[in-house]
Amino acid sequence: MKTMGTENSNGPNFPQRPAAPPFAAASQSATPFLSSGPVVGSEASAFRAMPPGATQTAGPFVSSGPVLGSEAFGVRPMQSGRSNDPSMPPPSSYVPPQVGSFQHFPMPQFSSTASVPPPRTSPPGQPFSSPPFRPPGSHISSPPASFNPQPRTPSVPMGFPPKSINHMPPGMNVPPTSTDSPFSTSGPTLQPLQSAFPGHSIRPSNAVSQPPPVQSSPFVAHPGGYAPPPSQPATSASFLAQRGGYVTPPSVAAPPAAAYSKEQLQHQGSRPVMGGVQGLTEDFNSLSLASVPGSLESVLDSKALARPLEGDVEPKAFSDMYPMNCNSRYLRLTTSAIPNSQSLVSRWHLPLGVVVCPLAEAPDGEEVPVINFVSTGIIRCRRCRTYVNPYVTFTDGGRKWRCNICALLNDVPGDYFAPLDANGRRVDLIERPELTKGSVEFVAPTEYMVRPPMPPLYFFLIDVSISAVRSGMLEVVAETIKSCLDRLPGYPRTQIGFITFDSTLHFYNIKSSLAQPQMMVVSDLDDIFVPLPDDLLVNLSESRSVVDAFLDSLPSMFQDNVNVESAFGPAFKAAFMVMSQLGGKLLIFQNTLPSLGIGRLRLRGDDIHVYGTDKEHALRISEDPFYKQMAADCTKYQIAVNVYAFSDKYTDIASLGTLAKYTGGQVYYYPSFQSSTQKDKLRHELARDLMRETAWEAVMRIRCGKGVKFTSYHGNFMLRSTDLLALPAVDCDKAYAMEMSLEETLLTNQIVYFQVALLYTASCGERRIRVHTAAAPVVADLGEMYRQADTGAIVSLLCRLAIERTLSYKLEETRNSVLQRIVKALREYRNLYACSIAWQGG
Amino acid sequence: MRDLLTWLLFFFVLIALLGIVVYQLMCLADLEFDYINPYDSASRINRVIMPEFISQGVLCFLYLITGHWFMSLLSGPYLYYNVRLYTRRQHLIDVTEIFNLLNWEKKQRLIKLGYLIFLLFVSLFWMIWCVLEEDEHAL
Repeated sequence: MKTMGTENSNGPNFPQRPAAPPFAAASQSATPFLSSGPVVGSEASAFRAMPPGATQTAGPFVSSGPVLGSEAFGVRPMQSGRSNDPSMPPPSSYVPPQVGSFQHFPMPQFSSTASVPPPRTSPPGQPFSSPPFRPPGSHISSPPASFNPQPRTPSVPMGFPPKSINHMPPGMNVPPTSTDSPFSTSGPTLQPLQSAFPGHSIRPSNAVSQPPPVQSSPFVAHPGGYAPPPSQPATSASFLAQRGGYVTPPSVAAPPAAAYSKEQLQHQGSRPVMGGVQGLTEDFNSLSLASVPGSLESVLDSKALARPLEGDVEPKAFSDMYPMNCNSRYLRLTTSAIPNSQSLVSRWHLPLGVVVCPLAEAPDGEEVPVINFVSTGIIRCRRCRTYVNPYVTFTDGGRKWRCNICALLNDVPGDYFAPLDANGRRVDLIERPELTKGSVEFVAPTEYMVRPPMPPLYFFLIDVSISAVRSGMLEVVAETIKSCLDRLPGYPRTQIGFITFDSTLHFYNIKSSLAQPQMMVVSDLDDIFVPLPDDLLVNLSESRSVVDAFLDSLPSMFQDNVNVESAFGPAFKAAFMVMSQLGGKLLIFQNTLPSLGIGRLRLRGDDIHVYGTDKEHALRISEDPFYKQMAADCTKYQIAVNVYAFSDKYTDIASLGTLAKYTGGQVYYYPSFQSSTQKDKLRHELARDLMRETAWEAVMRIRCGKGVKFTSYHGNFMLRSTDLLALPAVDCDKAYAMEMSLEETLLTNQIVYFQVALLYTASCGERRIRVHTAAAPVVADLGEMYRQADTGAIVSLLCRLAIERTLSYKLEETRNSVLQRIVKALREYRNLYACSIAWQGG
Repeated sequence: MRDLLTWLLFFFVLIALLGIVVYQLMCLADLEFDYINPYDSASRINRVIMPEFISQGVLCFLYLITGHWFMSLLSGPYLYYNVRLYTRRQHLIDVTEIFNLLNWEKKQRLIKLGYLIFLLFVSLFWMIWCVLEEDEHAL
């Protein structure tokens, strides 16, 4: 800290001074790039290149314990990168597909309901197309049985155009289309829509023809673990409950999707069979367009109501209003209309924030332009360090520019000067993409580097215990890695290394001059050392043949391995030691619970009595402080950890996942992995992980205009400073969410600007800064906020908040809190138009 | 005379405790204003946490055995709080969560600071009273 103490740090860590490290002083003490001698002391004597078989100790045969149906007990990958996955790709999967599309889903219960015949009458109610909402298909890594409705349910509304958030629990709506007469008149589609719009009248006979609600089946099937309600009376009963609830206050009538599964279970079989049907018939017959107390008249045209867009569609109107904004794939606001006062914020109960995916893949033709400011250096505001963007204004004949975020007048450097035309715009705008485009990339000069840009580095830590071999994981992994070697980014600088482990650690010398990889086994788990100073991590293009030979022989090497122990902690430390010089990406393939050495975990998820009690949340936090500590150390040395967990028994993902969470990595969970069934999934995901565009040793910061500030950050990263996210490795699939709040009680400016800057080392070795800028208007009207709301971003942020909540509270409470939040938002929305209706009604 | 010496001892221990808490507060403030990175800040604070707890425990114990049970009672809550933190393993600063918990940690230490200052004044007052009383007796 000595050097830090003398620095006059002025806030943001992006240094302006040549010698200043952007990564604060950690780098001073760490100097990760320090080329040193042998990592550990006297290893020479420890060289043992023995064949694997000889070193396997019998060891106590650890009985595997009860096979925990992990899915059944909700030992869910809380740390799963799934939820933290970018909002970008998932929303795209929610775009209202055609009715039939959900049938592509390989889930048995869905396909059975897919053939449900459409109802007889034309469904009344709001125009909703029928995007069968289906669970986020491509991104579920666990089979349906392990489907946790919770994180998914907020996604339910995604497919629902009219009111994604108001969406009514599909479970309720089951009116089994196989039903007969009692329902024919009313039409099964009634329910969801009606109840979804508290405050809208029931218009059963409204002849707006609706596409047949085949989607009712997806609803039914939606609660993954729950079977579709088998009997119609049960469903009618549930419907009745729903209907009965409709006319009463909205809090009952509009339970968000999150609660439906519970209700559905409760209602199933809890009502008299015949009575339910009768009551429903009567109810339906009594429905009419006439006013029902408490409902809104048809005077109200639902289309005129302010509501967010159909499902997850890009807001065209907004992007036309602000054409210079970055594309919404990079930055999405939960609502593109910022409230101007605290009171308005308090009425908007949904989260207010931003979801950022800085490296989102852009289709051809829309790539982010790269700009190299050779002579002038990167133009930034003096005070707030904002990068120059399309929203800055040039004044004084072009000699000064005003920052749009802090309103400071800055000088324009001589080389950057250009005169202004009659409209006050610079004459050279055409040549300056940074002044016309919302997303640009700057080449960062040496002031932005602590050390020379690191080469892409991939390290594989593979568990070769008996379950790894038996399940076929080892083979699939070796094969996939081999096939991806050609396309790993960063050719020809890419580096690669391997460590395998079971009850001992196996290091591999893959020096290019060797014909065959040399294996060194280390069985001392208490005092871990690295047998070779280098050559454990080699340049891929130079040692290509050795690496190929290694991967070819890997499955056969351990084919007969009967070792059940897993010395994960020591292996991880060893990998850390090897990688700590440069950093890079560490991929861990773990098949069993770590049982030896430091960081061993116990079967704590075994006790089913814990679930549902107050102690439940402890299961979702890391058990051993070793993991958090190692994660923090990894981030310090720019190591990102991706965890691939395969196990049919309890794998403490909460602990293993901590490694990924704080290092900006991802968790891939394949419960009960069998290569025969899940081979393709693993292959696809691993290949994508290795080949996607990756940014190394990155940091990210988001800035916003006056009056607004970011209060919390959500995602897989570590906070380097109050607002600086340290991301050892980012790629095109990662997104981060930030919640914002108003600093002052009343906002006076008309527009709020946001800027996200990501400083990273590209795979090609260039240090770059990717900058996305967006503007959003400030409004005083709640309706406008609903109109500009972005459901994808809202759901993403809600999910993350809920997940973080589950780390300290029970699942029940989290569900309730999400429920309450949505209910409140709906109530506000209803009140918004209740008043206007009263006026209209005269 | 012995009394005076014991009071002086208490006084110094209290000053030391005060110093430790102020040091922790300074580290946290530095972190907030970006003068120091979270790793270093966390390791610095964690280094002095246990000494703080131990010396506070010792102080309380000393009060007890020297018969100043009132003072011991006064420092009771502080001790209880420390012990509770320790048993819940919340006493150390976690690098990964430090920014999220920054405000809470600062508040915690400010309260400790206030408490210690209060204790200090009481003991100062008592010490002076002792000295005066001694003088009186001597006279």
